[in-house]
Amino acid sequence: MHTPQPNYPLNPPLKHQNHQLRLALFGLSLCLLLSACGYPDANTTRELAERMVLEAFSGSPTHLKRIEQDPSQQLCSRINNAPISAADASTVLETARASIQYPASGVLMGDWKIGDTLAHDGAGDRIRNGKTEATTRNGGLCQNCHGLAPGEINVGNLGPSLTGYGKLRGTDPAIVKYTYDKIYNAWSVMPCSNMPRLGATGHLTPTQISHLVAYLLDQKSPINQ
Amino acid sequence: MLRCCNHDLMHRLNSHTQPPRNTSLLALIALFISIVMNCGLTPAFAQNDLSVGRKMLLEDNPGELWIDDGKALFFQVRGPKQASLERCDFGLGPGKLEGAAARLPRYFADTKRVEDLESRLLTCMTQLQGFERSALERNAISEPASRGSEIEALALYITSRSNGHPIQVSLDHPQEKAMYKAGEYLFFRRSGTNDFGCVQCHGEPDKRIRLQDLAPLTTHRGAQEVAASWPAYRGAHYVVRTLQWRLNDCVWQMRLPDLKYATDYSIALTTYLNRTGNGAPVQVPGFKR
Ligand code: HEC
Ligand code: HEC
Repeated sequence: MHTPQPNYPLNPPLKHQNHQLRLALFGLSLCLLLSACGYPDANTTRELAERMVLEAFSGSPTHLKRIEQDPSQQLCSRINNAPISAADASTVLETARASIQYPASGVLMGDWKIGDTLAHDGAGDRIRNGKTEATTRNGGLCQNCHGLAPGEINVGNLGPSLTGYGKLRGTDPAIVKYTYDKIYNAWSVMPCSNMPRLGATGHLTPTQISHLVAYLLDQKSPINQ
Repeated sequence: MLRCCNHDLMHRLNSHTQPPRNTSLLALIALFISIVMNCGLTPAFAQNDLSVGRKMLLEDNPGELWIDDGKALFFQVRGPKQASLERCDFGLGPGKLEGAAARLPRYFADTKRVEDLESRLLTCMTQLQGFERSALERNAISEPASRGSEIEALALYITSRSNGHPIQVSLDHPQEKAMYKAGEYLFFRRSGTNDFGCVQCHGEPDKRIRLQDLAPLTTHRGAQEVAASWPAYRGAHYVVRTLQWRLNDCVWQMRLPDLKYATDYSIALTTYLNRTGNGAPVQVPGFKR
């Protein structure tokens, strides 16, 4: 039988009880009785909302791990996109830089043909009915957000168009590394941007990213025609 | 190229085993209309040259067909406790549906909880009718191209009785305020292997994932358009869908684990969405691609 979950803030939580929370709730009830506080303050909101997250999802421990925020995700979750402090931004940036791993081969520019396929693959990593999507490996998702080869219409616009990306930039080692780093961890270039940290979160492997670098930079790649 | 007939869906429709209600024939007709529409006319419904609009424009919304079903279910004496839903209080008093859904989510004194339409339905179907909650939750979201679920039909019927009423979500009760603030927090909360919060896709106007238009939900106008239109007929699925289904699908795209049905997480996000959409006249069923 399902036991109805208590609502907040008046009922104590069923699960995930801890001392702090109980104290907070006690303070909260006092507030409510006195009706004197600007309820709910930011901390209370965070506690309530985080508890909602814990109660809302089901799945294996590996799956549930995904709802936990790492410190950078926490810093980058800002209500109404409130500006981030310079100190926090540089923490995110430094953490992102430190996260970057390169392929064992040391080759940052792989095969643009494989990259082409990856860039157009929006699948992978999604969870339904307790099962992770069955694919041999995750897609790059680039097409979801970026314009790619000239004339391609079925592309998103959450990010800037990448059409002609390599034509403009050439294949200098510096630009190769910049591009690799950007894809591996977008926040190493622009902290908290809307682009996912595809390598750092484990969505893509270093080798996959090297193929995507080639897709963007290789002068033969369709994106540069 | 954009989309074409989905034979898989037809197959699933045919192989559906549950006893049909009167919607199944109508669903077939709707399915037929949708197939014709999807195959030939998609560009005509797009909002501009590029985008696949979120809304479909069709005079006859197949979703209408579910309203009568929901109405019949509402008045039918059912469940272990042999009761209809006429004594269910959606906030304006037992059985008073006129304009009630337009004010949801809201605080309910009997459960001491803030409930949205779907969680309130669960409350009444368990308490008044004696249905088992876990079974209701399990069946709440139907398979594509099926006859739909009882909750989908009921949610549509009940909301349709608010058609024309402006959305009016109040935050007067402290728990309503807390729900709203939690929903706002959750909207901006990033997590998972794609670092997504809702705002990454719904924070700005005129954005698309591939060709799919993304509704901006942080602005009054953006939220108004959306909040007033659920439950909606979903063309790609040939069934009526509730807001909880929509949240499930977004959470799936976000690469998060399975979202349970009608928890406070969903109620909080719904409170945030509907409150932001205050003032928009309810017009259901909406009609989505
Ligand atoms: C969910 C959206 C999203 C996805 C998926 C995504 N990006 Fe981005 N991308 C962005 C946004 C937003 C920006 C701009 C902000 C920034 O630089 O981080 C961006 C910026 C970039 C830039 C920097 C452009 C410049 O001029 O310096 C590159 C390069 C890039 N993306 C490549 C990729 C590649 C390759 C993929 C797929 C492997 C990808 N992106 C996937 C949203 C996305
Ligand atoms: C990765 C992108 C992405 C993220 C993140 C995302 N959504 Fe969505 N959302 C979509 C897409 C795509 C659609 C469907 C557009 C269509 O129908 O073509 C959609 C549709 C919706 C709609 C219905 C809009 C309408 O037309 O009525 C709502 C409401 C919504 N999302 C809420 C949310 C909430 C709340 C969250 C966070 C919990 C969220 N979304 C996160 C991509 C996203």
